[in-house]
Amino acid sequence: MSDILQIGGQEFGSRLFLGTGKFSSTKAMIESVKASGTELVTVALRRFNRDQAEDDLYGPLAELKNVRLMPNTSGAMNAKEAIRAAMLGRELSKSPIVKLEIHPNPHHLLPDAIETYEAAIELVKQGFIVLPYIPADPVLAKRLEDVGCAAVMPLGAAIGTGKGLSTAGMIKIIIRDANVPVIVDAGLRAPSEAACAMEMGCDAVLVNSAIAAAAHPAAMAAAFKTGVEAGRAARLAGLMPTSEVAVASSPLTSFLSNGDS
Amino acid sequence: MNPASCNLNPAPLPDWLDPTQWLPMTGSSDARAIQSAILSENPGEREMALMLSPAAGEFIELMAQRAQAITRRHFGQTIALYTPLYLSNFCNGGCLYCGIAGDRRAKRAVLDEAGLRREMGAIKAMHFEELVLLTGERMPEADVPYLRNCIAIAAEYIHNVNIEVFPMEEAEYRTLAEAGCTGVTLYQETYDQVVYEKMHRWGDKRDFFKRLDAPDRALRGGMRTVGIGALLGLADPCFDLLCVYRHAKYLLKNYWQAGLSISFPRIRPQLGGFSADHPVDEKMMAQFIFALRICLPEIPLVLSTREPGRVRDGMAGLGISKMSIASKTTVGGYSEGTEESTEQFEISDERNIPEFCDMLRAKGLEPVFKNWDATYREPAQYSR
Repeated sequence: MSDILQIGGQEFGSRLFLGTGKFSSTKAMIESVKASGTELVTVALRRFNRDQAEDDLYGPLAELKNVRLMPNTSGAMNAKEAIRAAMLGRELSKSPIVKLEIHPNPHHLLPDAIETYEAAIELVKQGFIVLPYIPADPVLAKRLEDVGCAAVMPLGAAIGTGKGLSTAGMIKIIIRDANVPVIVDAGLRAPSEAACAMEMGCDAVLVNSAIAAAAHPAAMAAAFKTGVEAGRAARLAGLMPTSEVAVASSPLTSFLSNGDS
Repeated sequence: MNPASCNLNPAPLPDWLDPTQWLPMTGSSDARAIQSAILSENPGEREMALMLSPAAGEFIELMAQRAQAITRRHFGQTIALYTPLYLSNFCNGGCLYCGIAGDRRAKRAVLDEAGLRREMGAIKAMHFEELVLLTGERMPEADVPYLRNCIAIAAEYIHNVNIEVFPMEEAEYRTLAEAGCTGVTLYQETYDQVVYEKMHRWGDKRDFFKRLDAPDRALRGGMRTVGIGALLGLADPCFDLLCVYRHAKYLLKNYWQAGLSISFPRIRPQLGGFSADHPVDEKMMAQFIFALRICLPEIPLVLSTREPGRVRDGMAGLGISKMSIASKTTVGGYSEGTEESTEQFEISDERNIPEFCDMLRAKGLEPVFKNWDATYREPAQYSR
């Protein structure tokens, strides 16, 4: 059965997206991208090295077939900088997709809802397929959908913390209300958490640190692929409803008769 | 000993900095308390003080393991690289410990535009995209207008240009930020005012508080990052590092959008034969770095080529997330045409870039030369 994810008119067979920073080498990163089966990777504009130095992330990724690139605006402190970075990223990569990422605090890297909203409006106008990285805020998610974002990317936990789906409650509301794909971005540590996000109804997940900082990144990438596929399959199969209490086998209401006065 | 107590007439340290109440814990020998500090989920001043204590040296392996795990989580398997460029070693400063202080018979030089362009060409060819421009104290040969020109020129070549110079006024910092300067590194040297006064014999640098507030002025002037640190060896390192920690916390709270980094310069041999009153050996330094990493998980920690290769190799990724390499501490020195000048201090790790990067890669760490983009280059505006 084909299970294609559509984002802004683009189709993806894999529901695992990868971040490309933090790897021990470009080789380890490329091997992980391949092992993950991903069709969409994000790369920070600040890691594009146009002088083709060894630490350039863009060049090696651009050579991969079946993998589309999504430049991100990491490093931007505000909407103005993010818009500029997105433009430059599009010019260099020719990709219409942008991961809009504005984190004014360079240490915890948590997203700025206000600046992100402003930048999203402008980037949509400029014809970008905009995927904003956001706090797990159901109202913000709807506001971004309303201004034309192609998907929303709420965080599971802060980048690099590996604290998993700390925001699960809010993400469930975002999923329930959304008309655009919901992609959990940041915080995931284990494939089981990716599976859990997919079971909850997320459309995809984006993983970076959990793979890059694993002892064996490519093997972890493959494990995440399996986790995402299992979670998605479970979602489609229809999970049994949960219940706080056991269901009594002897009905309590059998004394009620049908149709009598 | 509380350093403040032996000063004849010291101005009190501001509350946000004063570490007095935690200082006694740096003498703790309570192994259980030290261990739980190292493993604390939410460490603060108390845990920092316990981890700085000599008794915590017994647990250095545990500290290293924790520091490595945190570093890997936040910075991945990467080490950011940069290099310093001395623009001028003219200096009238009276720093007792410095190889280019005003009373040293140092060979002085300053880079002119042609020289700077030659140096920048050489640095660019080495693939650096992050640079720190250095001078001595404020001198007619290298004042703010000169720096502004140098920054603008350097910014034509590479993405990320920073300075490590004398403290200046907010408006001066702003002109430099507008010229393309991203960050300011300024070490307090020591937070112990008595020692500070003894070490800085004359000149503008004697003003302890003017230096202390300089990172605030730099950020208000539009710099995106500041680097702080204490010169290890000058005063009681426990006192100084508690102050560094509290200074960092203050800056993070008050300039929440600013980048911060902390360095660990250690007194090294140089012209003038200064020797440290409070020598910090490499094991102590490692312990201090681990303590700061555990207490400040997200902050870049920097180790320069002052340190020998063996120590740098070991510390890469073990708390340390950023390093200089191929450094020269003479004026210029990267291109062939530079005249000789006296170096500020001796480089201990003299490896070239390929050698150093091979070492990093062998340890499973990727050397990152470019981690920022000039498209973000404009003065920061902080909401306070």
